[in-house]
Amino acid sequence: MAVLISLSLSDMLVTALVMGRMISPEYFSFLVPGIVTVGLFTAATDTGRRIWLALREGVVQYYMTLPIRTSGLVVAYIISGGLGGVVYSSALLIIASFAVHPHNILNAILLLPFMFVLATGIAGLAAFFASISRRGEIYWVYAQALQVTLVTISTIFYSAQTISRYLPGPIATIADYNPLSLAATALRDSVFSGELLNTTLLSNLLATSLPLAALGALAYWVILRTLRLRGKP
Amino acid sequence: MNRVLNLAAFNIRVLLGDPTWFILSWALFALQLAVYGSLISRLVGSNLPNYFFFYSIGLMIIVVFESAEDVGRHFVEHAHEGELPYFLSLPVSRSGFLVAQAIYGVVNTLVKVAPPLLAVLFIWGNLTVSGALFALAALFLLGLGITGTMVSLSFIAFKAVDIYMAVLAGLSALLIRFSTVFYPLAIMPNYYSPVSVLSPLTYGADLTRWVLGFDPKYLLNPVLAAVVVTAIAVSTLSLSARIVDKIIEGVKAA
Repeated sequence: MAVLISLSLSDMLVTALVMGRMISPEYFSFLVPGIVTVGLFTAATDTGRRIWLALREGVVQYYMTLPIRTSGLVVAYIISGGLGGVVYSSALLIIASFAVHPHNILNAILLLPFMFVLATGIAGLAAFFASISRRGEIYWVYAQALQVTLVTISTIFYSAQTISRYLPGPIATIADYNPLSLAATALRDSVFSGELLNTTLLSNLLATSLPLAALGALAYWVILRTLRLRGKP
Repeated sequence: MNRVLNLAAFNIRVLLGDPTWFILSWALFALQLAVYGSLISRLVGSNLPNYFFFYSIGLMIIVVFESAEDVGRHFVEHAHEGELPYFLSLPVSRSGFLVAQAIYGVVNTLVKVAPPLLAVLFIWGNLTVSGALFALAALFLLGLGITGTMVSLSFIAFKAVDIYMAVLAGLSALLIRFSTVFYPLAIMPNYYSPVSVLSPLTYGADLTRWVLGFDPKYLLNPVLAAVVVTAIAVSTLSLSARIVDKIIEGVKAA
């Protein structure tokens, strides 16, 4: 947790600050909510690492001897990913509020359940990749590809207008519907600019995050069930 | 010497046997350059002319850094999984073992960084044999320095792997953020620039940019950069040679 916080803090207080000097003073305020979203993403994807380690080192066999149903184990992992993401991003949001003045703290509190759903979606995606990683270190290939792709093709570092102006339409559409873009935009507009909560944005956030959580839960459940039946994944 | 080369060749065969990491590295490099690089360079505009090129070299420095970090992690994994005692039992001296690791690291770095470098220079219309060779030499020296640092830090892993991983993550964050990998020293606030000159990546990045013809007014003195990069490579490799020679016997990463 301390390492994660220090990474996000250095992003906020060094990278964002210097990029703000290089681009424009407003860019710092633009980037800070994006960094909070990246923090949520990083904390939530830790679920994938834990599932991968549990499968690789056989800890999952121990879990299966516990008096908990397979579906209970799956739900516990996804919820823990969601909670991890929310706790971490809330801590970052508090720190960020010292750097950029929040205009509506109530909106930040109202956004928390949506951030939780987003974090469960990301945890689900990470769980999916951990579950389908059969050989060696391949999980890290998926994890790195997922992180770079989702963070780069999003509105975390640049606005939707900038993307649609300079890049092909399909990339702009992917960036628009990327759940990380939706979360960063919700934070920028509702918390740091003080606008009303945008219900369309929030419903899009739910619509993109919930299927990911379900996909991850299903993949992990299939793996656990196969383990129970065959003794190996 | 033949034994050292055999050991290095064995490690390299294992490395090249799985091209997934190389393909991933090249693909992510291309994606970041095509999306992040092109968009941010437009936002930066005339505040830093040619930022796209500046950023592409920075991205290569990150590839070199991660590749060198990978060698350190590889070394620790050998200890963690009990392979290190086997390697130490081979009829190869301790320094020979370190040389084999270094050759493995150089090949890993070159395979990951050479295609992106050549592609960027080609797209930029700046591809010359001398430019590419000097840039690779600068990146190679930087890679050796980072590898030496990572292997030197491996003694932490002999106490606790988790602490080693945490130290690596924290150190990487500091070395990269407080360096000129993504922004020049001239643009940094005064209170950050003294920290930035402590990062070896600052010297490696500016030296490579200078070799490739980036506007020198945004870069450190190239002679100073070359001296520092060489000194770091020599000193950290000497330190890691000492660690391999004295501390490594009988250890197993916790």
